[in-house]
Amino acid sequence: MALLTVHDLTFDYDGTHSVLKNISFAVAGGAICGLLGPNGSGKTTLLKCINGILMPNRGEVCINGRPVAKLSRKTIAGLMAVVPQLTQVAFAFTVLQMVVMARIACLGMFDSPCAADWQAAEAILDKLGLAHLRHRPFNSLSGGEKQMVLLARALFQDPLILLLDEPTAHLDFKNQHLLLDRVQSLTKDKGLTTILTLHDPNLAVRYCSDLVMIKGGRIHRQGTTHAVFDAGVLTSMYGMDLSIETGDRGESFVVPTTAGNTPTLH
Amino acid sequence: MTRTRRSFVVAVITLGVAAAIAVSSGRYPIALSTFAQLLHFPFSPTDTHAPLAQTVLVLWSVRLPRILMAILTGAALAVAGVVFQGLFKNPLVSPAILGVTTGANFGAALAMLLGGSALLLQLSAFTWGLIAVGLAYQIGKRGDHSITTLVLAGVIVSALFMAGISLIKCKADPLGQLPAIVFWTMGSFNSIVWQDVTTGGTLILIGIMISYRLRWGLNPMALGEEDARALGLDVSRRRLGYILVATLTVAAATAACGNIGWVGLVIPHMARMIVGADHAVLLPFAGLLGGIFMLAMDTLARTLPGGEIPVGILTAVVGAPFFGILLVRNRRQAWSP
Repeated sequence: MALLTVHDLTFDYDGTHSVLKNISFAVAGGAICGLLGPNGSGKTTLLKCINGILMPNRGEVCINGRPVAKLSRKTIAGLMAVVPQLTQVAFAFTVLQMVVMARIACLGMFDSPCAADWQAAEAILDKLGLAHLRHRPFNSLSGGEKQMVLLARALFQDPLILLLDEPTAHLDFKNQHLLLDRVQSLTKDKGLTTILTLHDPNLAVRYCSDLVMIKGGRIHRQGTTHAVFDAGVLTSMYGMDLSIETGDRGESFVVPTTAGNTPTLH
Repeated sequence: MTRTRRSFVVAVITLGVAAAIAVSSGRYPIALSTFAQLLHFPFSPTDTHAPLAQTVLVLWSVRLPRILMAILTGAALAVAGVVFQGLFKNPLVSPAILGVTTGANFGAALAMLLGGSALLLQLSAFTWGLIAVGLAYQIGKRGDHSITTLVLAGVIVSALFMAGISLIKCKADPLGQLPAIVFWTMGSFNSIVWQDVTTGGTLILIGIMISYRLRWGLNPMALGEEDARALGLDVSRRRLGYILVATLTVAAATAACGNIGWVGLVIPHMARMIVGADHAVLLPFAGLLGGIFMLAMDTLARTLPGGEIPVGILTAVVGAPFFGILLVRNRRQAWSP
């Protein structure tokens, strides 16, 4: 049985026009599922609906058959951890303080993390090779370091499912690959299931086992990366001409073929 | 950690020194050697032991309650400032943000207009402080439930009560009531007696103690609503809890001592510069610092030549430039713009 199922999910912000319409898909345990789509297609909204931050108007999201809408925030935090697009926080928390906040779901309102919690947070940072950053203010880190710290925080929540909201948005070429390599190996080693939104189809084809393509709030195409990563499918989704090439080592990559003919910007 | 611990030790010692100075100085100075003498006698305000009876009287019924209340009020405002700044994830927020002080001012002015007793005045100030925040919270809740709406609701409620205060000032007797209202809003520990400490002081202490226990949860709250919820927090419920406790503390402090501004805004900043942003450490340290600052200002207010001035004036006159100097000298970025 699939670990996570999204069934006929419909969502709107203001009650007039739907941002997401009749979204249904399933994610098997151990998968890395990429949500792909143009700007404004509803990828991030879908991710928030999955995490229960936004409540769908119709349909439901279930984890192991349990509807997320009926779970408390505390329970959800034990099942899913989010790596948000957090680039700046209001106060100068250190990296270690940021990571240890993952403990809040396990602590009562009147509790503070104990020495063991702090040690465990240090261990997570150490494991991800971030130990040298632990006393640095989070805000002073580079984009790549911030994403890694937020990934460490998400892992410290000890979830089943990892949700990443455009994790590569502010990263340079090398850091994009470093981060996704890490996500890939962690998903495998820790037996996680990962769902992430991505802009770059080349990253999607390289790292994702499954793809859910969204256009205008509807499912455009979904399936294993192997099955749905197709020039025709991508062309109609992004609304631009492109072709899929095969590199020397058999890897696929997408290149635009609209040189000289500027497509309209969305 | 050693740096933090050192800061706490220095703060506690400073508080002790400030208290010693406050106890011994004033219109009736008491030499430190007299305290040694006092220790030899059973401590009783009704003791008629001739040479020390007056000293005991001044100490017990005038100075001690005032000193205690100054420390508690300073701590209360600073702690509430930390709570509100964390909650609103904004270092420019003061405890007055949701209208508690304006509400309390209104309540006090109303009581003075209607001619109630001192106890009634405090009760009225306290109640109206809570009513103001309750109103702001309800408006915010019925809006889109966001922090921005809550802040705007606070602005609306403050404006409303401000108009109410102006109306009361218009109607007040310009020779008796009006000056009383104006002086009350400047804030002073001039009329503090033991009863204030046992009622308002106890409330403040309870508020500070609950805030202390809740302090670490402010860290994830300060990351913003979505992130805090993703981490597993029931944000609306927690927010209400924090607002309730902080409002209770500030309302109790304001009801007893009047409107003392600036402390709740600036002390959290100073504390953050010294011990960092982690609320687990910041909140108790800001409390200590607030107590020290308020006690120092009150001691200054009653010992300056030319008669006593309201402490609210001094907190601004001394606090503002001091804060400016700190900003220039301390480059360690404790918050982001």
